[in-house]
Amino acid sequence: MAEPTDKQTAPRTAQQTERPTGHGTAPHPAAPSPDAPVRPDRPGGRARRSGLHATVLMAVLAVVFGFVFWVADQVYAPLMLALGPFGGFADAVLGGAWIVVAPLALFILRRPGAGVLAEVLAAGAELVVFGSPFGPMVLVSGLVQGVGAELAFTLTRYRRWGWGTFALSGVTAAVVTYAYQSFAFGYLGQDLYLLRFAVLVVSCVLLSGLAARVLGLALLRTGVLDNYAVGRLA
Amino acid sequence: MSARPAGTTATAPGPRGSALARWNPTVKLGTLLLAGAAVMLVTDPVTPTVLWVAAVLAALTLGRVPAGTVARAQLALAAFSVSVFSANLLLRHDGDVLAVVGPVEVTSGALAVATSFAARTLYLGTVSVLLLTTTDPVRLMVSLHQHARLPAPTTYAVLAAHRMVELLPAEWHAIRCAQAVRDPRRTPGSPLPRSPRALGAATFGLLVAAVRRAERATVALESRGLGAGPRTVAHPVPLRAGDVVAGAGALVLVGAVVLAGWWGGWLAGPAALTPG
Repeated sequence: MAEPTDKQTAPRTAQQTERPTGHGTAPHPAAPSPDAPVRPDRPGGRARRSGLHATVLMAVLAVVFGFVFWVADQVYAPLMLALGPFGGFADAVLGGAWIVVAPLALFILRRPGAGVLAEVLAAGAELVVFGSPFGPMVLVSGLVQGVGAELAFTLTRYRRWGWGTFALSGVTAAVVTYAYQSFAFGYLGQDLYLLRFAVLVVSCVLLSGLAARVLGLALLRTGVLDNYAVGRLA
Repeated sequence: MSARPAGTTATAPGPRGSALARWNPTVKLGTLLLAGAAVMLVTDPVTPTVLWVAAVLAALTLGRVPAGTVARAQLALAAFSVSVFSANLLLRHDGDVLAVVGPVEVTSGALAVATSFAARTLYLGTVSVLLLTTTDPVRLMVSLHQHARLPAPTTYAVLAAHRMVELLPAEWHAIRCAQAVRDPRRTPGSPLPRSPRALGAATFGLLVAAVRRAERATVALESRGLGAGPRTVAHPVPLRAGDVVAGAGALVLVGAVVLAGWWGGWLAGPAALTPG
């Protein structure tokens, strides 16, 4: 999985952060509390090398968002009924909300595979802890959605983290997810096939890609991400 | 599935002491995943309906899930099922026209596909209920670590996060109370605010608290040396030949239902979705 890559990227990010911050003089303008107070286990502000740190965060995000997905499931059912034959559009409108955890995990952890793993774990939490109306196939959906959302970051070689990449992440997530759903949910051959795809793309860009970056930046401002890759870079 | 040696865990009544609960969770998850995947490309009404009935029967007998729980789950799933049914009935056109509802023609091909998807929704939902009621999440994670080679850090992380689930409701209530008490316009004793703004602020607070908790959990796990090397397991989950035989048996059953449709001529694949 993503374990070996952590060891490769971690020293590099540490070097990047060391130069501008210096040794705990003036606080960096972007981060409210910079990692100036050096921990004994991290001499010279060197990044923590344990895969556990990132994995626990992914699992916790998965549980919190598994709960969010479960809430989305509860909103989704009445919305589907209310819309009647256009119930499929409820899926397209809310579609992005199910994919938000993958770009958020990537925003925070900046490592390949984080998006896919976080999305699969969140789907697992939705299935085993909270209960999902989509059955065990929700794990496959999670994998497909995670791969879709992470594709944009793979295409930019995990080097660009601006608004454009997160918007692109929404588009790739929508394309991959819709390709899967066309068969899995049988959208193929229905009327309004392309219109629904357009709605899903808009939903994924807004509720998945851009929402993840907004949420990530808000979390960054609170200071809880200071020890993660995004906090060290800031 | 019944020809399994007596379980080491509970003989308690209800789903937690049932044959399905004693089934190795990794094998169960894999089997149910494959059993669910088997209908993903099926578009005829008979096959998913037969499998749905089989899943309900398995939940009631092998899973010992209370009939009330199963019935309530079917009712909740019916909302999805009805929506999927009506959407496919009205948005598809294939075969003979059966009826005209306002501007829309209901066709025979659309009816078949719509019924198939409605039954599939019920089937997958029932399998989900089966999994949820008969699986202990901790036992599942331990088994995935033992038998599916899930890396130790991931296992510990998920187990730690699972403990956090139990704390989320209390945390949510504490955040709501704390935010309400700091609102100067609030009269003491009034109910907690339910505006979208208040709920959004509380949700974000919950997320921040969860990330903080993740940080503390990592420190706690690392200080115990978890994630540093191989460890033993306190309550290992057994994997017996019977578990695998049960999984194979269930899959043979699902395969038989699909094959019966093929021999009987009623099985339809994704080609039915795009006629002409």
